[in-house]
Amino acid sequence: MVVLRAHMCPGLELQLVRDLREADISTVEELVSADLEALAQKCSVSYKALLAIRRVLLAQHTAFPVSGADLYEDLLSSTAILSTGHPRLDELLDSGLYTGELTELSGGPGTGKTQVCFGVAVHIALHLKQGVIFIDTTGGITATRLHQMLQTESSSLEEQIAALQRIHVFQLFDVFSLLDCLCSLRRSGLQPVAVGGACVRAVIIDSVSAVISPLLGTRHTEGMSLMMQVAALLKALVKDFSVAALVTNHVTRSVGGAVRPALGVSWSHLPRTRLLLEGPDRSTHSFSSLRSATLIKSSRQPCHMRVEFDLSWWSRSKEVPSAKRKHS
Amino acid sequence: LCSDWFKTMQGFVLFARLEARRSLKDIEPRLFPDNGGPENGEVVEIFGPEGTGKTELLYLLLSRCILPLSAGGLELSVIFVDADFSLDLFRLVSILDNRLHTTDEALLRSCLSRLLVLHCSSSSQLLLTLHFLETSFASRPDQSLLLIDSISAFYWLDRAEGRTSYSKQEEKLNKCSELLGRLLRDYKITVFATSSSAPSPSPAPSHSSAPSPSSAPSSSAPSPSLDQDKPYLCRAWQKLVSHRLTCSKSEIVPKMATTTASSLMGPKRRRATQFTVHCSSRNKGSRINHFTVTDRGVEFITELNQD
Repeated sequence: MVVLRAHMCPGLELQLVRDLREADISTVEELVSADLEALAQKCSVSYKALLAIRRVLLAQHTAFPVSGADLYEDLLSSTAILSTGHPRLDELLDSGLYTGELTELSGGPGTGKTQVCFGVAVHIALHLKQGVIFIDTTGGITATRLHQMLQTESSSLEEQIAALQRIHVFQLFDVFSLLDCLCSLRRSGLQPVAVGGACVRAVIIDSVSAVISPLLGTRHTEGMSLMMQVAALLKALVKDFSVAALVTNHVTRSVGGAVRPALGVSWSHLPRTRLLLEGPDRSTHSFSSLRSATLIKSSRQPCHMRVEFDLSWWSRSKEVPSAKRKHS
Repeated sequence: LCSDWFKTMQGFVLFARLEARRSLKDIEPRLFPDNGGPENGEVVEIFGPEGTGKTELLYLLLSRCILPLSAGGLELSVIFVDADFSLDLFRLVSILDNRLHTTDEALLRSCLSRLLVLHCSSSSQLLLTLHFLETSFASRPDQSLLLIDSISAFYWLDRAEGRTSYSKQEEKLNKCSELLGRLLRDYKITVFATSSSAPSPSPAPSHSSAPSPSSAPSSSAPSPSLDQDKPYLCRAWQKLVSHRLTCSKSEIVPKMATTTASSLMGPKRRRATQFTVHCSSRNKGSRINHFTVTDRGVEFITELNQD
């Protein structure tokens, strides 16, 4: 709902806005849908002037029409595939995270979602030399852990510091700060975040369900609406700036007892690709770093492809104890 | 002075209305009951939960319209209103490439130039966009198809804005439906719109065995519950819809018997996803179809090939 204000467009003077308000027209939508002849008589302004104002307002606020051919050209030049750094995961994701799309990682506690996010962030910052925005809602990120992972990948201190500088961390713990953060990122065009010429290519949110699931249930409508607002902002961010987004999600059990990602049906439309992480296998050692990932939604690969992968891949040159204690 | 100009505008608009738009009755005869394809000025709603092939069906219709006559298309202009940001142009291009059988870039671009995409981010913007499209329909009689993906994208945002009053909640969609109704009557375009299933009453995560309404048919048999299929969008929209395609999906394991379908799916006994679309048209009966999604897009499974 866009409220009519004076000088929004040439010809829309303050007096005219007041006259329109008296005629019950206070928003752009109402003006555009109104009967202009009758309105012109009521507000004693020429029909032609009103028509011109209507045309300008419509052009300003309507969606921008793009021809399919132009859109395709744009996509060809701006889409990139960001490898996750782990060849098995890349296999599942059809070579990696695609820009302009959202990928979701869901899994129970201890299945390695945060580890995968760290690994992806480190890989993109160090090897691909691109900026990463990491939004942490669980308090799980520490610079020490990232530095540990970087140390195993590269021995030069300058490279490690440069990579750490390319990862921008935002720590927030409720949905309103998340909305605020996404809004300001979108408004600023991801510019202030770009350091040393590295433009931002990935946005990682760990985890999005931590801030949204407390809202679903009791205050149902508001929670759903906030979730859809986050979804819309994320999608717009991802499309407008051609970045790849990786979000993590919890899991719940459906009626049949099968595990499925949380946040419900309305959220499930948002990610283009969804992975379900499982493990560790109860039969193996409880501190095993082996996990399995199943593809549950994809537009490029057949669903239910499953790979086993090792969480310690991203820190494979040295034996480092994992940051989280895993309980069997 | 201005009344003369007004009369010219009226005349121009009348002229555009009089010129008949290409009927899309034959756009996909396999989907609709016999001789029951969408007439000019009708709305088809494609309804179903997530991942059941609704957008794939839209790609099927899109490719049918924008492909040249030599490749089995209709060479018509299509307007795609993308409310969900779900248009995957790479997927569309791979479907077109598969159907064109050539790698001629110029031909591909000429097909794509028949497609006009508009991204909407709120129902107010959708309303304004429909007003804007009116001038487009008036000036271009070759635009006969409008695809909206999806009409239910702003359902929760509108509900929250409307607070406790149902009429306020449905106000925006009501206005969009009324405007759409007027455009359909005046310009005789055909509209296909996708919409997702009714939102479940309580998606609160439950770890116990308490029955929580499962709204995503993951690996169960294809029997959507009554709640899911209930139309929940505003009445003005329900009145507009003349045909309803309800989509669902099921996992099937191909039997080892040598039927064509299982050999198509490859030597491995992998779970394959089969989609079902049930079409019910006002006063014209109904029809059920099954299809799979391949690189060529939607492939219908005929009775002979069915497992």
